[in-house]
Amino acid sequence: MTPNEINWPAALRAADSAEQSAAMQTLREVLQNGLRIALHGRGDVSEAHLEDFAQESLLRVLDRLDQFAGRSKFTTWAQAIALNTAFTELRRKRWHDVSLDALLANGDHLADPAMIADDVLGADEDRVRLVTVLRQAIEQDLTTKQRAAILGELREMPFDQIVELLGTSRSAAYKMLHDARRALKQRLQEAGITGADIQNAFNL
Amino acid sequence: MKTEDQRLSREQVGSIVTMLRLTTDRELNCSECLQHVGEYAETRLAGKPLDEILAGIEQHLELCPECREEFLALQQILKAGL
Repeated sequence: MTPNEINWPAALRAADSAEQSAAMQTLREVLQNGLRIALHGRGDVSEAHLEDFAQESLLRVLDRLDQFAGRSKFTTWAQAIALNTAFTELRRKRWHDVSLDALLANGDHLADPAMIADDVLGADEDRVRLVTVLRQAIEQDLTTKQRAAILGELREMPFDQIVELLGTSRSAAYKMLHDARRALKQRLQEAGITGADIQNAFNL
Repeated sequence: MKTEDQRLSREQVGSIVTMLRLTTDRELNCSECLQHVGEYAETRLAGKPLDEILAGIEQHLELCPECREEFLALQQILKAGL
């Protein structure tokens, strides 16, 4: 039987512990094979890491089994969870020594007008005006934490790391960032700069 | 000078502006994206049209580099036939 022919939710919930164990073992192998493909060529990932990621992913899949709605193949849904597990851990390792003070210092830096050069997008009048409005909005409309989170994201700091450092929940941090983006967008709109203007004028 | 060393690049400012262009009042978050990204990847691979939820996933992937990285990896796995 191929992985796509298995009724995974039923097999993983099987009352027969031998059947359940076999399904778990097969799924662990499927996830590990997927991770091997996705993370191929990364110097920071060994076979032992793949085994750990697959095991951790299996536990997360079992924990969320009730959330599988059958709108995709089960293995695709499970692979997405495995990739999230692996990438979250790899990002965390890369940024593990960043402190809250360093993150908040980022927020203060971003409020400094010198952080964004007038001509960073180009020297013509429209682009300089966009940058000026953006810079004012960042300085005046955002909190230190919002600026810190935005700069952290621009520097590829993992979102989970930002959440952890700010001592908040994922949903609260996401709302904080969403509110920040909406505030900046509103300031641009008030200055007569629309999304279509940005796209047309700057080809972004 | 410290600030000059840390100045945002053209790409980084472009990322902010692009994020603002894509920002809407109602957006999906990363958890919602994770729940539906498998279906989104399969639908894209099959060349089928996106429903409202999957269109929301597409918008989130444009805004979120981490979810986008994971989606691209998932595509690799699906294309390999796993």
